[in-house]
Amino acid sequence: MPRADVVVIGAGLAGLSCAAELAERGASVFLAAKGIATTHWTHGGLDVAAPPGASTHRAGLALLAALDGHPYHALGSDADAAIDGHLARAAAAGLVHSGGLDTPLLPIPTAIGSLRPASILPAAQAAAAEPWGADGLVLVGFGGYRDAWAAYAARNLAAAGAAWADGPASIRAVEVDLPGVDGLHNLAAQNLANRFDNPAWRDRALDAVARALPAGKIRIGMPPVLGLDRHAEVLADAERSLGGRIFEIPSLPPSVPGMRLFEALRRRILAAGGRIQVGFDVVSVERAAERVVAVHTEAASRTLRLAADAFVLATGGIAGVGFRALPDGTIDERVFGLPVTAPPHDRWFSDDPLEPHPLEAAGIEVDAELRPAGLSNVRVIGSALAGMHYLEQRCGDGVALASAHRAVRSLAGTKAAAA
Amino acid sequence: MNAPAEVDVVVIGGGATGAGVLRDLAMRGLRTALVERGDFASGTSGRYHGLLHSGARYVESDPLSARHCIAENAVLRRIAPATVEPTGGYFVATPDDPDEYLERFPVACATAGIEAEPMPLDELFRAEPLLNREIRAAYRVPDASLEPWELVEANLASAREHGAATHRYTAVIGFERSPDGSITAVRVRDERAGEERAIECRAVVSAAGAWAGKVAVLAGARLAMSPGKGSMLILNRRMTTAVVNRLAPPGDGDILVPVHTVCILGTTDIAVPDPDDVHVTRDEVDALLADGERLVPGIRHARVLRAYAGTRPLYDDPDHEGKHPDESREISRAHHVIDHGQRDGVGGFWSIVGGKLTTYRLMARDVADAVATSLGVDAPCRTADEPLPSPATGTPYWLGDRLAALEAEGGGDAELICECELVTRRRLTQALDERGDSSLDDLRRTTRLGMGPCQGAFCTPRAAAMVDARRPGTANLPLRGFLDERFRGTRPIAWGDQLTELWLAAGIFRGTLAVAGLADLSEAERATG
Repeated sequence: MPRADVVVIGAGLAGLSCAAELAERGASVFLAAKGIATTHWTHGGLDVAAPPGASTHRAGLALLAALDGHPYHALGSDADAAIDGHLARAAAAGLVHSGGLDTPLLPIPTAIGSLRPASILPAAQAAAAEPWGADGLVLVGFGGYRDAWAAYAARNLAAAGAAWADGPASIRAVEVDLPGVDGLHNLAAQNLANRFDNPAWRDRALDAVARALPAGKIRIGMPPVLGLDRHAEVLADAERSLGGRIFEIPSLPPSVPGMRLFEALRRRILAAGGRIQVGFDVVSVERAAERVVAVHTEAASRTLRLAADAFVLATGGIAGVGFRALPDGTIDERVFGLPVTAPPHDRWFSDDPLEPHPLEAAGIEVDAELRPAGLSNVRVIGSALAGMHYLEQRCGDGVALASAHRAVRSLAGTKAAAA
Repeated sequence: MNAPAEVDVVVIGGGATGAGVLRDLAMRGLRTALVERGDFASGTSGRYHGLLHSGARYVESDPLSARHCIAENAVLRRIAPATVEPTGGYFVATPDDPDEYLERFPVACATAGIEAEPMPLDELFRAEPLLNREIRAAYRVPDASLEPWELVEANLASAREHGAATHRYTAVIGFERSPDGSITAVRVRDERAGEERAIECRAVVSAAGAWAGKVAVLAGARLAMSPGKGSMLILNRRMTTAVVNRLAPPGDGDILVPVHTVCILGTTDIAVPDPDDVHVTRDEVDALLADGERLVPGIRHARVLRAYAGTRPLYDDPDHEGKHPDESREISRAHHVIDHGQRDGVGGFWSIVGGKLTTYRLMARDVADAVATSLGVDAPCRTADEPLPSPATGTPYWLGDRLAALEAEGGGDAELICECELVTRRRLTQALDERGDSSLDDLRRTTRLGMGPCQGAFCTPRAAAMVDARRPGTANLPLRGFLDERFRGTRPIAWGDQLTELWLAAGIFRGTLAVAGLADLSEAERATG
């Protein structure tokens, strides 16, 4: 029967980061998750705090920390250390990022040719946020790959006008037929990323791309396919053979940039002695007074009892299925049955699907140590926390990391994570 | 618009009835044109539960309508087999249904000529294991599932083969009349180009359904419609293999219709002053689920993909004035041909109102008979005998058709733009060829794009890029419009998995793709905001 100092429940950015930091500090950690989480939905950049009007994440943090009830109101002071720790950890696992809290938020292209603000980006996306100078932009699409829309995106970006005044000198689109995928359809980004990991295929594919590129000083926007296991090598190879800076443009899930992040953190946890079990739901909880003693997860043939001194709830909100809404408007927190603060049922949604919905701010209320009411050895982190509009405020990653770090610091004072 | 400026008859309304009228008149040799203010089959015909009635639903409340239904049920299976899935249907008595109705039902069916065969309960539960085990009695009837978009399109295609012109996004804005009051022309506006013009004609048939009252006013006639809103829920899979009806007088939550890969739970009935009010309320959703529980216990835990509503074209027959019931369901479902020349002094103007989608052809025949006679044309109606030209297959629809076609097309590896509904790039390209200036919602009606569990989260940008390739620079508003349209139907049922799905879509469109940041959309919003 597994025993750990801390059981972390949930494998999104918050849970992975928390488990990694705990393990690095010498705690025995068991991460249990129902399944792959929202890392695989995301664009792969780090959204710390980019609400409308913020010029840097630092400025965004100040704006959001001033909002009563926003997680940053209590966590803002942990952001610096949390982001630094995360970037160092990711880099150590081979996933280097550029930018930081004080780097200007710049508009970078999306797969449909709109612009979104970003400053902290993995190496494979960094070139999108570097000064364009006289560089032209060439967007690359692939035959048989239905999730890159180079021509459509190029047309929209060319119409961006003042919103991208400091953008590229020219914009064009090319479509490339990759080798050996003739007659194959419905390729997802990761199918192509797996192929790019293979050096022999990669050479032929990069040749095909090179032949399609125009002459001149260009930067290349690619679908997010530049390798998974050997991503750094693929990116370096591609820039060398194509003779220009490359950035990946994230598209529909499942997200290859998100998979790389998941893998990097998973490897860090395992390397630091942590254990991970993904694919089994928590089905019951043992309590003693105001403490959780153990949780039981489904396993191959029986339930598995996970006992620990402390438990970290990182199951996400509605998106991550940490919460489940019922037809009558009640919202269940699925592991501990914690109360979820939410707007009244008749005010869950705005009329416009592109505007923030009040329900997005639903979550669990916690104290400064991230303890929910009534459970002294539980900490709640990430998107399960109440009070943020993670899409509108582009703050989900930062809250995940800052709350994970706060939880680690809080538990460090207890027997768990005593190192 | 390159339409003829002069025809014999203008048909108003591009639903099943209008398309049927157009086909009927065109087959009689008349020069015809049809105008529809939106897309074809985008009103009531495209917003119904998908049932081909046996008529058993109305055997007691509306025997005339019941007889019409059973007759037309047989006709449609003959002339448009590919639009009909012969699922069969059951009428089942739950513990809440009245005993006396159970006794009268088989007698009333026999009187109406509808075969209603008693179904032993053990057989019923073997065939439909999810049904409520407290069901006390069941009858099997010849109900079926009907694909409305294909049916309307097939009627229009047949009419075009006979020389008819069809114009969508063309609204009627007025009429020109001679000194004696007769209609001489219909004034229309192209809703996309903004152009207005007149189509000269000798007669007009208003098949505008729930909107027929509004059309009549424009012509100087009067027509009291009582639009009845019917709301329905789409569940993510078939709960039953056959149509299941409550063995009770028509009421809420009384029917479950298997349609393609999903099933429809219907239907509420609420009198609404405005036929454009197709907003589904949370109360309606709750009522539908509560009543659906009586048919399939646990149905409220099933995944609901979407809620939608249509507006019934109920006609407030002045003959029944003084005894109007509050419930619009009690107004007759049978149809009425109204000669506004006789009644209102507006010569050459007919309305066809009431009726059911199942009886659209009969409605068309009755009004076409009247119009043809008045124009001195004695060619008979041939629509019951001549099969509809498309879709091409002469065999009934079955659930595996689309997958079989996909396998035939690409050896199982054709490129899918919409995975949920198996819409291939080729199918969408063909739809764009046929209907080049279409919104994504129009393409949905033609192809089922975006109708599955993800409600357009993945296919919307893919399809928008295809539209952009076809007509550069025009795809952003359709993309935005489709997101709005899909959200409207998801919102009333957003809980459980479908709420998580909605949050996934929000992450895609607001997070990764930042749709609001598209240059021309933000300009359009600045201009209007």
